[in-house]
Amino acid sequence: MSLPEFKLLRPRNLADAVGQLAQHAGSIRILAGGTDLLPSMRQKLFDSQYLLDIRHLAELKGIRPQPDGCVEIGALTALTTIAHSDFLRQHYPVLPEAAKTVASPVLRNMGTIGGNICLDTRCLWYNQSFQWRKSCGFCIKKDGDLCHVAPGGMKCWAAFSGDTPPALLCLNADIEIASPAGVRRVKLSDFYTGDGVIHRKLQLNELVTRVFLPASSSGYRGVYRKLRIRGSIDYPLAGVAIVLKRSNGHIEDARIGITAVNPAPLLVKGATELLKGKSLTEDLAEAVGDLAAQTAKPLTTSALTPEYRREMIRVFTKRALIAAAGD
Amino acid sequence: MNGDALRTENRELRTAMANDRRPATTDFSIIGKSIAMVDAAGKTTGSGKYTDDLSVPGMLYGKILHSPHPHARIKSIDTSRAEKLDGVVAVVTGKNAPNPFGILPVGHDEYALALDKVRYVGDNVACVAAVSESIAEKALELIEVDYELLPAYFDPEESMKAETGLIHDNKPNNLEKDYHHAFADPDKAFAEADYIAEGRFLANEVTHAAMEPHSTLASFEIDPHIGNPGRLTVWSSTQVPYYLQHKLSLVLEMPMQQIRVIKPLVGGGFGGKSEVIPIEIIAGIAARAARKPVKITYTREEVFWAHRGRPRTIVDLKTGVKNDGRITAVKARVVQDGGAYCSYGVVTILYSGALLGALYDIPNIQYDGYRVLTNKPACGAMRGHGTVNVRFAFESQLDEIAAKLNIDPAEIRRRNLLQPPCITINGLRVLSYGLPECIDQVVTRSRWNECKGKLPKGRGLGIACSHYVSGAANSIIRSDMPHSTVNIKIDRDGGVVVYTGASDIGQGSDTMVAQVAAETFGCSLNRVKVVAADTDLTPIDIGSYSSRVTFMNGNATLRAAQEVKKQIAAAAAKKMNCAPDELVFRNDTVNRKQLAGEGARATQAQPIVSGRVEGQILRGSLQQKRKDEGPKDSMTFEEAVVAAIDFHGALSGTGSYAPPAEARGGKHKGAGVGPSPAYSYSAQVAEVSVDEDTGEVTVHKVWAAHDCGRALNPVSVEGQIIGSVWMGMGQALTEELVWKDGLLMNPGLLEYRSPSSVESPEVEPIIVESIDPEGPFGAKECSEGSLAATIPAIANAIYDAVGIRLHESPFTPERVLAALRAKKNAKPLNLTEGVDPTAPTKFREHGGSTCFKGKGPQRHELDPARQAAQPGDTE
Amino acid sequence: MKKELVALTINGLTHELAIEPNALLLDVLRRDLNLTGSKRGCDDSSCGTCTVLVDGTPMLACTLLAASCEGQEITTVEGVSEHGSLAAIQKAYGDWGGAQCGFCTPGFIMAVKHLLSVNENPTEDEIRAALSGNLCRCTGYTQMYQAIKAAIDAEKQGMAMSR
Repeated sequence: MSLPEFKLLRPRNLADAVGQLAQHAGSIRILAGGTDLLPSMRQKLFDSQYLLDIRHLAELKGIRPQPDGCVEIGALTALTTIAHSDFLRQHYPVLPEAAKTVASPVLRNMGTIGGNICLDTRCLWYNQSFQWRKSCGFCIKKDGDLCHVAPGGMKCWAAFSGDTPPALLCLNADIEIASPAGVRRVKLSDFYTGDGVIHRKLQLNELVTRVFLPASSSGYRGVYRKLRIRGSIDYPLAGVAIVLKRSNGHIEDARIGITAVNPAPLLVKGATELLKGKSLTEDLAEAVGDLAAQTAKPLTTSALTPEYRREMIRVFTKRALIAAAGD
Repeated sequence: MNGDALRTENRELRTAMANDRRPATTDFSIIGKSIAMVDAAGKTTGSGKYTDDLSVPGMLYGKILHSPHPHARIKSIDTSRAEKLDGVVAVVTGKNAPNPFGILPVGHDEYALALDKVRYVGDNVACVAAVSESIAEKALELIEVDYELLPAYFDPEESMKAETGLIHDNKPNNLEKDYHHAFADPDKAFAEADYIAEGRFLANEVTHAAMEPHSTLASFEIDPHIGNPGRLTVWSSTQVPYYLQHKLSLVLEMPMQQIRVIKPLVGGGFGGKSEVIPIEIIAGIAARAARKPVKITYTREEVFWAHRGRPRTIVDLKTGVKNDGRITAVKARVVQDGGAYCSYGVVTILYSGALLGALYDIPNIQYDGYRVLTNKPACGAMRGHGTVNVRFAFESQLDEIAAKLNIDPAEIRRRNLLQPPCITINGLRVLSYGLPECIDQVVTRSRWNECKGKLPKGRGLGIACSHYVSGAANSIIRSDMPHSTVNIKIDRDGGVVVYTGASDIGQGSDTMVAQVAAETFGCSLNRVKVVAADTDLTPIDIGSYSSRVTFMNGNATLRAAQEVKKQIAAAAAKKMNCAPDELVFRNDTVNRKQLAGEGARATQAQPIVSGRVEGQILRGSLQQKRKDEGPKDSMTFEEAVVAAIDFHGALSGTGSYAPPAEARGGKHKGAGVGPSPAYSYSAQVAEVSVDEDTGEVTVHKVWAAHDCGRALNPVSVEGQIIGSVWMGMGQALTEELVWKDGLLMNPGLLEYRSPSSVESPEVEPIIVESIDPEGPFGAKECSEGSLAATIPAIANAIYDAVGIRLHESPFTPERVLAALRAKKNAKPLNLTEGVDPTAPTKFREHGGSTCFKGKGPQRHELDPARQAAQPGDTE
Repeated sequence: MKKELVALTINGLTHELAIEPNALLLDVLRRDLNLTGSKRGCDDSSCGTCTVLVDGTPMLACTLLAASCEGQEITTVEGVSEHGSLAAIQKAYGDWGGAQCGFCTPGFIMAVKHLLSVNENPTEDEIRAALSGNLCRCTGYTQMYQAIKAAIDAEKQGMAMSR
């Protein structure tokens, strides 16, 4: 399966990249790690006249703690780097925990944190070759007007399947987006739309450049639990990230994020309120697990049934809470 | 055959064997030693060439257009727009080669490119040969095919009810083949049983997923006398070069002698390359039309469509036992979802019945097997061909029985052992039988007696056994030809060249052949060069499948080497003034027997002269001069070879192997499948733990004892055992082809989950050597037999761990969790539309998959399939 | 499509090549440079048979644009053997049954080479983790672990001898 034709643009620096992106907005795609884009392009899920190769933009790589206590992570920082970062492991452990479960070692060497944030939504009726998709009359996300997952529906339910965004949501991360108009900074929780087709709020001339983790999120315990069939390579079939801070045997603060069960990664609403100020009991963990499971709306977009995946959101939430709250 | 006659015959067989017991030699120089494969360096440096690594001048790239419909009539194909695309050299369709073919003589139901009908999504319709892959891909989109949609069948039990709209017109009820066997008196035996277990088991479809996608390069050469394309050379990733030569001849209407098939390195087969795959013929058709060499390599998705994997199988199994655990009778009804073409299907359904025998002593057997056609890619032969899914059912049920009768699961197996040598009730001859030792070994190594039932909560041990043929005693082509022939020539340089048709597909057959030859000649391994699997150069061997190569090609090699050795010995004996049988070939020297020890030292003192021919000739004449001075006690191998060539004029020999008549089975219909000259045996214990909240199963360790007769190359044997166990574990836990209305939902290595290193367990291989009386140096099969035991060993270990009995493979976490919930009467996890996953009664249309519960694929409104009612649709 | 001139440094040698912008590194290695040791086993970046080192880090040649690798040091399996002899890991893979059909072997050799370059003495768990991006269908991986341990021992012995 060969790639469609395109012209490769290789900007020397960020300003150059932003300029080229704006110049060809609408007919250009951004190539970072390429681990999702290139196989998808071979399946003819994307074609565009230009490809903006930002792999070598050094200014977008690296983990930089800031004087105010927050940390700035370049969007092109490899997932391997995130997973192995001593700084992150010490201050924001949930992020490296999640990063080290992404795909496989070789793919983590290539894949970037920005790419994982912007990752396209996935569905078994979508991530297939052109010939395959033609065989079923295509689907609403690409080339067609039907949904095979929720027949009759007009909404795309393809699942967001990144591992790091639920962790980043727990950490109240912001992202920086660059365009010719300058840079804007948005909360990651406002970045996703919840729709499977246009799943993120990113203009055609915009580029995610940095991730910021606030100082206030530092020092939380972190756990990430991923449902996968194999111990490696697989995308998540469900994922739960938890951050939790204790004081005097009580939960001072906690947040829970879930992934791979909805078209967007989500924070579990109400979880913090349920947990705050309490000491964790089996019943409380169970209740929070139920809450997380209610937030999950998995459909038949991947292997394993929606029922099972939702059930695992419940079990994993409970277990992750117990692990994070334990001694 | 009735039971009494059989007992008499078995008694005679035992007496005959006892009289013929030859002392087992154990003093080998190369046999039994772990050595690197002779082609290892090419593999580890990347210099070894697989088919897709080859290119020839002027080569074009072929791409195939596949059917988007599961069942449709082709009304017309318009290739004109594709032909006009710049860079396209030829576009071919079924009309370019309209002869049908198929691997079995009874199953010539395939066309390289569809003639009038397509029968599965992915069926082959047309092929473009162009100067680049991307141009060929573009051209495919320009081919216009007008289809008339036909009703499609996806569920074998539904398909069997079909009366119209048949997949093949000559197969009523879409039934490829059914067999009904009764050996001795099963009804009576069930009546006499103290306890009868019955159950339905379901094994979902799995595929080989060899790492190398199929690839073929076809090139015609211009005949100098007629000036037109004449001979065809095909390089292909195949396990069966000679069958390929035959089928190419059939479809292209060329004499076989005008076709040369060469097998380069093959990146794994497991049965997926053990028949002629359409790509291999399409490349020939395209090269003929384009008048240029054409290479086609499948995409991974196309590999899944080519498939030929292990079919989804329903097994309704009934076992009767006495209170002491002795089996009185077994009855099995097996339905296989065979896909759209015959492939090896008739053989598969026969193996499923035949291999109920020859593992345990089962005095009464009833078997009803149905191979059913459906509109999906054809299933075929896969590692453990035919036996695996039935073995899963049988060994699980035996475990249930053991629990019911309160007999230790290892003990119940010991109580049902065969007493070889014997012929089983269904006509299988068993000579060597290492199963008792296999069971003892795994019981000891796993500390079964100490640990069984005493492990922490959620952790358990399970045992199961299996066996497999060392090649089929009857070839799929009915003829009296030998199954393997090997030529050996030795020239004055003292180099041994073995010409073997055996196809090394990574299992190490080239190395096996080299070892057998080197051992026989008593020469070093690097003296032996193996020329393999090239139909112009090597004599016929029917291929690498049914684990036949070591036994059959090994025997042919042994015989060829012995013939040549006899010639050398005759000449050397003359020089040494002794009888030929007084000579010992060892350490690159030929010695008189009593001097065997000293000869080795003598050689070291005489450095081997370089391989230059002049030197050899010179040395030959020096030797002659020395001989004149008097007889010697020792000669180097080269001196002996030169003497033999001087004496005989040339030094070459041939050996062949055909299975003995006694091993070829009974007389009933279908008796040809199952008999083998020897069977391998395997016993395994698996240790697993089960997470009761998630249903996730972890296999911690598998102890796998395998009776391979004699291990010719122990490191390779262990590799085959581990590989089989591991592949069985994949089928047990993670691998499954998921279908939705004929559409394969997971046609890639991302979604078809072959296990990674992280979750792959430690496998402890234990070699058991029963020394088969007919195997080369006593060797038998080692590459397939272990697979079948792994799945039930894991199932039985899960039962031991958490008390649930799984009847459907793979044991995905959701199936395990559903079963756990059902057992605890907890809130059910409804995965399967009301069907209890622990006891499936319905063979669900989508692969037992729990993925898709809703309607079939919504088709595009312009797609006529959206309007057409589909009677075959079970929903 | 218009080809562009690109200079690629592969196994220490720089090649000037005219390639299409959409050419994958794997295709350029195999087709233009006849370095066929790197294999294609899948189309969805999941199998690891095309693993090469890019500036010393394992990456998938099927998921890199060749033109994008300009200026980077690429090492393929053909660059692993030392002065025409087998490297310790290659020898050990042969001796211990680490390679059966051999199709996945080049990818594994690259993954192991990288592992041993960052971790001289990996535990079995570390080895398993490092190999988990490469699929093998023959060996069940077990004999690879033995091979890797043997290669580590051989390297140590070799170093001791050269001291």
